[in-house]
Amino acid sequence: MNARQVRGLLLILGISLTGSVAAIDLDELRRAIEGPKKEKKQEKTEQPATKKDAAKDAGAATPATEPKKKDKFDLGKVLSAVRQISVEEEIEIGRQISGNLLGAAPLVADGALQAYVNRVGRWIASQSGRSDLKWTFGVIDSDDINAFAAPGGYIFITKGLYARLQDEAQLAGVLAHEIAHVQEKHHLKVLQKQQLMSVGSDALSRKIKGQEVVQKLIGSGAEILARGLDKTAEFEADRIGVVLAARAGYDAFGLPAVLQDIGANTQDAGSVALLFKTHPHPDERLSVLGDAMGQRFDDVKGKALPERLVRMR
Amino acid sequence: MTRLTPWLAAAGMAAAMLMSGASGAQEIGTALKPDEIKAEPFKDAKTLGKVAKGDRLEIVARQSGWLQVKAGGKKGWVRLLSVRRGQAGQTNVAQEVGGVAGVATGRTGTGQVVSTTGVRGLDAEELKAAKFDEKQIARAESLAASSEDARKFAGQGGLAAQQIKSLPDPRGGAQ
Repeated sequence: MNARQVRGLLLILGISLTGSVAAIDLDELRRAIEGPKKEKKQEKTEQPATKKDAAKDAGAATPATEPKKKDKFDLGKVLSAVRQISVEEEIEIGRQISGNLLGAAPLVADGALQAYVNRVGRWIASQSGRSDLKWTFGVIDSDDINAFAAPGGYIFITKGLYARLQDEAQLAGVLAHEIAHVQEKHHLKVLQKQQLMSVGSDALSRKIKGQEVVQKLIGSGAEILARGLDKTAEFEADRIGVVLAARAGYDAFGLPAVLQDIGANTQDAGSVALLFKTHPHPDERLSVLGDAMGQRFDDVKGKALPERLVRMR
Repeated sequence: MTRLTPWLAAAGMAAAMLMSGASGAQEIGTALKPDEIKAEPFKDAKTLGKVAKGDRLEIVARQSGWLQVKAGGKKGWVRLLSVRRGQAGQTNVAQEVGGVAGVATGRTGTGQVVSTTGVRGLDAEELKAAKFDEKQIARAESLAASSEDARKFAGQGGLAAQQIKSLPDPRGGAQ
């Protein structure tokens, strides 16, 4: 084993031992991008036996690829270098984003309210495809009308939006939309794409403490929550949200009613500026959701529970 | 400053009108698509009449996926998803001054800008500048409910898990 190979091996061990969130196998990536150039200087006979060995080779030899593609950025190869983010890593990312969000808008100091939202949210999350996560819900101290989801099962609703809700089914609809984002890993996918774009920056290769690595991955503060997702992801979360709320036994029209209300009755347009920037307009969401729902929920019985909605102190 | 006064007065009046609209009176809506007016809020109920796309409705109440409305002299129930909801007066304010003032301020409707003063918002800049708060996130995590606790609470409210099929993407997106 030469010095270069040892370095490569140490790099991999370093990443796995620190438990960082490196979502990408750096060596694979480096080979995908830089490898072909270097390979020209290598002897062609030095081909690794397996892919795993190749990874340890830290940009030295590369597996055989079609010669024509060698000088190009091979997107397919880069994509295959993205490994699955583990649940632990996902939670670490979500915790960092959420801690940042709470730094901007802390929890409303009302234990009864927070406990209530957690019970409602956890019950809906139990109907999702990720019922094994430890879900955390919270009402945050902002008059803005918005709700946020972060990877790993962190969901927050502003008190501005909460104050508009009329029954528990509406709360369920809002939380279920956010739960859908976590279930579908919408934000994680955005992060993975970003990492692919800036792969030359070598952001994850240095040995630094876990939290710093995570922060580097998510950018500045909680800006990932201000950038939003694409429309398709939002429409999907609306559809899944309606279904999850209904599976939990709620009136399926909680989310549509909230969208209708926000679309029409928002007195203070400044309070929805971020929501409207990061989401399609509520009217459009309602229309698209309406097409999906059609008459499918006509015979579904669900509860609205207006009397159980906890009012803010 | 004096030149601005009429504008401020107009904005104040608009705000006052909006507020009076908010405090109850009546809420109006527009039919997004043709629909039937039903005597009761379910699909097999007797049909009392019809609304055409663009018809103005007065919204009386909501029950699940239905809105009770008054339209064309009839009072009955139409599907919530067939209606665009909006308060009387608000649309006009937004259309008349929102186009000009809205562009300048990034907000829609001058009357509404007045009411934003002192409101604690959460914009992109604040999120970007946000600093990690360990105490807060630890507090949030400590408030999480167990799945068992949540299940019991659901039961107390009479909620039971139901089998519901997933909704397909009406636009036929890749799934």
